[in-house]
Amino acid sequence: MRALTVAFVLAITMLIAPGLLAQDEAAEPDSTSEQGTEDPADERAAQFVGVRGPDAEQVPGGALLLAAYAVVWALLFVFLLRMRGLQRQTADELQRLSAEIRASGGR
Amino acid sequence: MLASETNMGMKGVRPSGSSTLWGLMLLSTLALFGATLYAVFIVAPVEMQMGIVQKIFYFHVPSAYAMYLGFGVSALGSMVYLIKRDPKWDALGVAGAEVGTLFCLIVLLTGPLWARKAWGVWWTWDPRLTTTLLAGMIFASYLALRSMGNAGEVEKRFAAGLAIFGLVDLPLIHYSVQRWRGVHPTVITGKGGGLESEMYWALGLSFLAFTGLAILLIWARAAIERQRDETARLRFELMHR
Repeated sequence: MRALTVAFVLAITMLIAPGLLAQDEAAEPDSTSEQGTEDPADERAAQFVGVRGPDAEQVPGGALLLAAYAVVWALLFVFLLRMRGLQRQTADELQRLSAEIRASGGR
Repeated sequence: MLASETNMGMKGVRPSGSSTLWGLMLLSTLALFGATLYAVFIVAPVEMQMGIVQKIFYFHVPSAYAMYLGFGVSALGSMVYLIKRDPKWDALGVAGAEVGTLFCLIVLLTGPLWARKAWGVWWTWDPRLTTTLLAGMIFASYLALRSMGNAGEVEKRFAAGLAIFGLVDLPLIHYSVQRWRGVHPTVITGKGGGLESEMYWALGLSFLAFTGLAILLIWARAAIERQRDETARLRFELMHR
């Protein structure tokens, strides 16, 4: 019977306590906000800080344009070099095969 | 130049076409590029809002058009190859895919350089940007598949199917700015305010120059691919004599 009473009291405490705590927590911001409005001078800026990093940069249009045109010509040049490499590789392979055919007495 | 070098170096292999025509086309394209540079930097005015960075547009948009041309030729070559099984169409498919991927790379690199100034970001998942990236990835897969040693018949047919699949993405790129909301400009697709007349001239010349360049590159690359195919066939015959 005593155990049942203790369990009942504990259960009631667990049910009610969170509600009471929550009320207290909800009340706390009100008190802080009141404090905040009490001293508006705290909200004022006390210093000026210069912006550094990406936000401070002026996007350089000329450099971007130059980079874009360089990309176009560089990629075209690389493609032409690749084609030349493929062509040379094929020509060498064909010469090797021709020599092999000649060596084997074929046409 | 490349086609003639190719023909000189490959005795016994049928020339890919008229070297004279190729040379004339090369000269015309070079002249067009000279005129384009003059029109872009001297004639066309600097754009009011974006400034000088807007001039990227004159190479970016024709590169996108050359990309369509390359991928379209690749899909056409692949379709005819699947029907006729003639290696020359397969060579055209490879050439178109390579040239298309080259121009796709140019588009995907020059676009962000413009966007950094115009939009404040290098990249955004705008429908047109996303579908262009998708097309590039499809044709990069095509080239990866074809670069795995000597491609057999199965690999060639599978790659041809991939090129045809990639073709489906091309209208999506073109109409994405009209069908879906995005941030990509629409100055030449009928929804924007258009261009000034000098800007149209510069863009028109650039379109012609890039068309000539794309045709020349596809032509030369297809000739090399045909010769590679011929060499592979000879090697196979020698091994099985």
